[in-house]
Amino acid sequence: MFDLRLIRADALKLRRRRGMLVLCGLLTLGVVALMFTVSGIQHATNPSQHRPAGGFMAYHDAMFVLTMMMLVAGAIIGATAGAQDLESGVFRDLAATGRSRVALFGARIPGAWTIVLPIAALAAAATAVGSIALAGGLPTPDSATIFAATAGVLAAGALSAAVSVGLSALTASKAPVIATMLAFTLAIAPLLSGIGFLGDARQAIPTNALARIGDAPGQNVHMGLVTAIVVVVAWATAAFAAGAWRTRTREI
Amino acid sequence: MTPTLELHEASRRDAAAEVAANSRLPALDGLAVETRGLGKQFGPRVALDNVHLQVPRGCAFGFLGPNGAGKTTLIRLLLGLAEPSAGQMRLLGHDLPGGAAAALAGVGAIIEEPRFHPHLSGRENLGVHAAARERAAYGRIDGALVRTGLSARADDRVTTYSLGMRQRLGIARCLLADPELLILDEPMNGLDPAGIGELRELIGALVAEGRTVLLSSHLLDEVERTCDAAAIVDDGKVIAQGTISELTRGGPRAIDITCDQPARAASLLSATPAISRATDRDGRLHIELRPDAPVDREIVTGLLRRLLADGIAIERVSPVAVSLEQLFLAMTTRLEDRA
Repeated sequence: MFDLRLIRADALKLRRRRGMLVLCGLLTLGVVALMFTVSGIQHATNPSQHRPAGGFMAYHDAMFVLTMMMLVAGAIIGATAGAQDLESGVFRDLAATGRSRVALFGARIPGAWTIVLPIAALAAAATAVGSIALAGGLPTPDSATIFAATAGVLAAGALSAAVSVGLSALTASKAPVIATMLAFTLAIAPLLSGIGFLGDARQAIPTNALARIGDAPGQNVHMGLVTAIVVVVAWATAAFAAGAWRTRTREI
Repeated sequence: MTPTLELHEASRRDAAAEVAANSRLPALDGLAVETRGLGKQFGPRVALDNVHLQVPRGCAFGFLGPNGAGKTTLIRLLLGLAEPSAGQMRLLGHDLPGGAAAALAGVGAIIEEPRFHPHLSGRENLGVHAAARERAAYGRIDGALVRTGLSARADDRVTTYSLGMRQRLGIARCLLADPELLILDEPMNGLDPAGIGELRELIGALVAEGRTVLLSSHLLDEVERTCDAAAIVDDGKVIAQGTISELTRGGPRAIDITCDQPARAASLLSATPAISRATDRDGRLHIELRPDAPVDREIVTGLLRRLLADGIAIERVSPVAVSLEQLFLAMTTRLEDRA
């Protein structure tokens, strides 16, 4: 189902979209750099009022923002990966080769991950380096914290991209998928997470599962790590199944 | 129904019957494409109805029909892009849809218009397509670019290509399969006259290599020059198929007679049973024969005797050659007229 040649081809299609890559770089690395730069300037100009830009707390704040931004960047890249063949009309020619449509679809998710995960890893690494380098006298994040938070960021990018690939196969268009993902991430998920009477059902909300994987402080929905991983895998699997079904049955 | 339409209906049925009777298509195992009773409905609309099509291997086969006749729908069914509502299909000896993967591995196709990722170069687009084919397809990219005259622009982004260059790139993409069968849907769109000539040569060369080319086109003159055989589709049905000469022989037959009194001669002959219409056309007597009329020589002898007996001087008698275009126009209905 996962053909390396098809995955490389999908990665190439994404890699050549320079505008998209620049935008995703700005949303992730750019935002982290901006946070450290602003905090650094504030600390340099008024050290008594502003703590150093790095340190343990700054690291967690930056990784929380980075996780949100990876959900957005993953949605942009995933929706593009999922819809670009259909939107350009090339999918019809690819399907006419006799190649399994599920194989063609299946290559899109790892193809998107080849772009999303390096961006996430680079941004997470930059955040860790900045937090340690700019810590001043503050405590710095230890390796276990960095490992967990980096895993959370990677999972956010991977999940967002996978779900977006699946949804864009359903809609055959990337714009509505990006809008839906943004709305869910930034508005619907926090709203649902804040509704107390939903109880343990809130564990199914993917942003809560990602917060648990990243071991983020201040989680308002508590769950085990295994549960969190199961929730993320379930969302990705459901999106893959829906996208594969629609790709297989679509008349083109 | 008007008399003109009745005439068209009659000539259509007769042409189809004659072509079927005279057909010299090879045995079934020599077919690149075969459909039996193929049908496709989109809701209440019937796009294809009981289509029987036979495309022999190793020839250029024209696939003709007016807009909305069902040409692209049939191509989509053959390529597994849509499911038929009824009937059976065989492609390169493989039953569809079960044998689609094996059959389509030997097919290169342009459907409607060639589409590409505009932000990739021509070479990269071919690479993307080759990834969906067998591994050897990568090794054919350079050869396909050379053969379609695109080598010099292969590394430019497709967004900078003209429509004609995209058509060429579409054909290059077809060649990546080393195809036994090429299905080309309007491949001459956007090509300049030189490009059309080159494509005609390329199709001829591909056929000479033993490949089959199924060419859908509105350029009937080009089809007549390029193809060995053709099928005409109208309103979802194949109404005629056979070699070009068989098809044109099945079309409306006519004779032009240069004489001194064409108008009088026309009125004199108009009631003759073998004649469907006799008119004074540009100072000549133009006679259209009924499809069931006897062979030309007997008719001509009888007509000339009749005219000479009435004192009409005859200067020249010439049969009117029927082109594929005339046949097409006589047999098919335009989309606007279908309602």
